[in-house]
Amino acid sequence: MQEKNKVTGTPVSRIDGILKVTGKAAYATDYPVKNIAYAVLFKSTIAAGTIRSIDTGPAEKSPGVLAVITHKNAPKLKTDGGIRGGALLQSPKIEFHGQHIGLVVAETYEQARHAARLVKVEYDKSEAKVDFEKLSKEAVLPEDKEKADAKRGDAKAALQNAEFKVEAVYGTPIEHHHPLEPHSTIAEWQGEKVILYNSSQIVNGAQNAAAATLNIKTENVRIVSPYIGGGFGSKGGQWANLVLTAVAAKVVNRPVKLALTRQQMVNSVGLRQQNHQKVSLAATKDGKLTALAHETTTHCAIENEFVEPCGDCSKIMYEVPNSLITYRVVPMNLILPTYTRGPGKSTGSFALESAVDELAYQLKMDPIELRLKNEPTRDPSNGKPWSSRTTVQCLQEGAKAFGWEKRKAEPRQNQQGNFLMGHGVACGTYPAHQRPSSARVSLNRKGNAITARVELAAADLGTGTHTILAQTAADALGLPLNQITVKLGDSDLPPAAGSVGSVGASSYANAVHDVCVKLTDELIAKSGKQFFVRPTAAQLMVSENVADYQTRVDAKPPANADQYSSHSFNANFAEVRVDIATGMVRVTRFLAVTGAGKILNPKTARSQIIGGNVWGIGMALTEESVVDPRWGNFVTRSFGDYHVPANLDIGAMEAIFIREDDRVSNALGVKGIGEVGIVGVAAAVANAVFNATGKRIRELPITPDKLL
Amino acid sequence: MRPFKFTTVSDISSATKSVAGKPNARFLAGGTNLLDLMKEDVERPEELIDITRLSLIQIKPLTEGANKGGISIGALGKNTNAANHPLIRQNYPLLAQAILAGASGQIRNMATNGGNLLQRTRCPYFYDVAMPCNKREPGEQPGCGAREGINRMHAIFGWSEKCVAVHPSDMAVALAALDAVVKVRSASGPERIIALADFHRLPEDRPEIDTNLRPGELITAIELPKNRFAEKSYYLKVRDRSSYAFALISVAAALELDGNRIVQARIALGGVAHKPWRALKAEQLLVGQEATEVNFKRAAEAEMADAKPLEHNAFKVELGKRSIVRALQVAFTGNRS
Ligand SMILES: Cc1cc2nc3c(=O)[nH]c(=O)nc-3n(C[C@H](O)[C@H](O)[C@H](O)COP(=O)(O)OP(=O)(O)OC[C@H]3O[C@@H](n4cnc5c(N)ncnc54)[C@H](O)[C@@H]3O)c2cc1C
Repeated sequence: MQEKNKVTGTPVSRIDGILKVTGKAAYATDYPVKNIAYAVLFKSTIAAGTIRSIDTGPAEKSPGVLAVITHKNAPKLKTDGGIRGGALLQSPKIEFHGQHIGLVVAETYEQARHAARLVKVEYDKSEAKVDFEKLSKEAVLPEDKEKADAKRGDAKAALQNAEFKVEAVYGTPIEHHHPLEPHSTIAEWQGEKVILYNSSQIVNGAQNAAAATLNIKTENVRIVSPYIGGGFGSKGGQWANLVLTAVAAKVVNRPVKLALTRQQMVNSVGLRQQNHQKVSLAATKDGKLTALAHETTTHCAIENEFVEPCGDCSKIMYEVPNSLITYRVVPMNLILPTYTRGPGKSTGSFALESAVDELAYQLKMDPIELRLKNEPTRDPSNGKPWSSRTTVQCLQEGAKAFGWEKRKAEPRQNQQGNFLMGHGVACGTYPAHQRPSSARVSLNRKGNAITARVELAAADLGTGTHTILAQTAADALGLPLNQITVKLGDSDLPPAAGSVGSVGASSYANAVHDVCVKLTDELIAKSGKQFFVRPTAAQLMVSENVADYQTRVDAKPPANADQYSSHSFNANFAEVRVDIATGMVRVTRFLAVTGAGKILNPKTARSQIIGGNVWGIGMALTEESVVDPRWGNFVTRSFGDYHVPANLDIGAMEAIFIREDDRVSNALGVKGIGEVGIVGVAAAVANAVFNATGKRIRELPITPDKLL
Repeated sequence: MRPFKFTTVSDISSATKSVAGKPNARFLAGGTNLLDLMKEDVERPEELIDITRLSLIQIKPLTEGANKGGISIGALGKNTNAANHPLIRQNYPLLAQAILAGASGQIRNMATNGGNLLQRTRCPYFYDVAMPCNKREPGEQPGCGAREGINRMHAIFGWSEKCVAVHPSDMAVALAALDAVVKVRSASGPERIIALADFHRLPEDRPEIDTNLRPGELITAIELPKNRFAEKSYYLKVRDRSSYAFALISVAAALELDGNRIVQARIALGGVAHKPWRALKAEQLLVGQEATEVNFKRAAEAEMADAKPLEHNAFKVELGKRSIVRALQVAFTGNRS
């Protein structure tokens, strides 16, 4: 992947690594703002109804308390200003268990937390809709036009007449993003202006939402968010805690810090919704698909709709003449669901790729062969040509690297002592888009020493954005990596796309590349000379004796990008070991082969992919947020109950990238890798569990009890 | 956190005096459980008595008394040190395995042996003050959230309508199997010795009382009698992830053999009751029998026949049977794979 003399494509270690491991990288609550006060949120203990009375007297009198803010005294906010999930203390109405109903501000965190418990609340309860198993029967067509029934041909008829078919419902539970850094904010007012130190995956989005909700001008909000301790979608949209910190700071006329506790995360910042996905496949004897139906039923919030697109993979993965993709949704008294790593694709691929595996067993065909037989030459959903598609290479190279041919085709044939071994494969995909982003680059020369500063309001979730942008700039300017400074995560910088939907790397790297090219062009023009060999910006600074030079670009995706269907693709291979007596599953080996365009940095890219894989393994085996169907509360509120995989759950992880040169998607040929790493993973694991045990588990997670 | 008074003591008698007559005072050992519960407002002590300076950390062979030839484990020693101590590794590997199956390296470095026995249930309804829990709010008797709620992790033996919680300790399960005793002191009266099997109690009508420790009593040591189980023992923990999760079911199994004939058997189960559950029925069925899979199964089935599962944990009955058999097999053969 490396081009000659380029640092792009080389496995450079994170340039901010030392800052992070020495604790010098400041996260949202690390800023040494003076005279700070602490806010603690308190939450409803019912899921539906209204607050009849709220007695804040004892809390207000508690030592150190500066203010108690509830719907009774909160400043008026705009509730449709772009903050997700409501809970802005504007009304006594309760729509979910654990909705914010107020906050205490005090001199210390402990004082605020204590006082928050002294608030006495009485409610008028109404009937809460919290039992998805019952309510799913009442689900209706979503308002979102993109979730309208999508039909091609007649899938139902084709299914009826099919010789071979699979019809099954796949269940995925509620999951939480649970980034290691819980959502946290410091708000500091300076006159009309408020600075919000906050973890934001979309810096300008947070700025706009905060300004609109607070009813102030956009330029009066500054978001500072250079480092983020993970987000996975939960820090994409912004939630009430951001704005309520600003409100608290205004009320007490001091800077205020508000950090959510782990327990508060479950009902403050969205979730991945529970889905029932019915997938139906029909095929001929020789494995040609004749119909594919993917029907999703899920839930959303009472007032707000969000439906993750579980049918997306089914739209494009296979050549099939008859296709049906539908969604039904039921409002529930639970917090608004939101984008969660690989939204729709991670969950949707579990259903689709499990069903494909089931079909392969029915046809007695290798599941790789079945997939290869149904490879589409164009995007079946819209007829557009692929910008590039690597599914076949991913499967073939993966099969070789993984030793697929040694797998036992029949289930339950591979016992080793107390364990059954199994192998599974599943594919995945995620769209690749570039979004408009601006960037500024400034060059400075002291003698022959030239340094560059690259600036844009991009977000680095901890994935290595600073590093890949320094690499991009170094090559484009002709400077060594260590002469580049990258400044991100500040709304005072040129506006940029969010680090969401896997658009970050392509949007930012193209903007940085463009601005460096533009700067070089401008220096050439300024020189008034003609060059046989195009000089670098670094050379021009010296030859033209320039001390300082700066320029900015507003980069946009290529004009013809949407004439093509652009996606990253992968194939996932899992080896599992299942304890015959106890049903405990361990993924002993996992391989992800990914085609994601140009890989800017194989080291950070590998981390991204195996990070996605680890969550996918968690999704397959351990992660589940459980709601008590009587009251709507989560019973899994800590990492003791919500089981993200531990080190011991993860075996040997391998990531392979397919070389590809896709200049159609965007000028640099960069596709995203943030999401595709989780897509197809759970299916690969579940398929391996079937291969090991002969048990087809269609309800995630595959906990030991399901295999007894 | 509610405000509390913090008192530091340096010896047993000042520790017991400091707590005497104060129902709302608590000893603070490693703090890995108590502080979590205070942050969640579940425990609301008015005073903490820091006992970490007491010199009750030794692990030493017992040269006299009822458990002569056995071992004494200081109550304030760390779980990590107990698990790694050569005397424990050699003579009581079951205990070392059980400790290492619990929590994480970091937590075991803080957690003390006495604190481990007194850690409170992990029932989510107990931990969430917005939920009803008779164990947490005994005076008000608000009901048990888990009885009709999400009770996959809960008890299948010995529960009551008031409480279906399980005791979370792994260490205590091995100690129950190994016939440990707990030594306690108080401001008034002589030292008491409580058999581990009687240390924890069933919930009955008073789920707020986890153990038979009396108010104001300080655990000073845990003693283990000499035994012949070191060669043939195994701690099996079945859980939702490979480490850092509480047991769905755990089994401490130990055999003393004469050839293939079982002279003595010890089996205790974790994750099934409000206390470590000694599988006495299974043990009795095994004594005098050959160590065979058939006999292991018969014993396991007899033990689990009395189980009374709740709505979401019926799987624990079958899992319990299989786990007992597996643990006995591994104890017998030494082959874990
Ligand atoms: C995330 C997490 C995971 C865990 N996983 C496991 C697991 O898998 N298996 C497992 O077994 N455990 C597990 N634990 C629990 C852990 O083992 C206990 O928290 C620990 O053993 C408690 O010891 P401590 O010294 O910290 O007790 P503390 O928290 O200090 O005290 C606990 C209680 O004991 C009392 N106490 C302490 N010492 C004495 C004494 N000498 N005399 C009288 N009273 C005393 C205290 O007053 C308090 O009420 C886990 C804990 C955490 C936080």
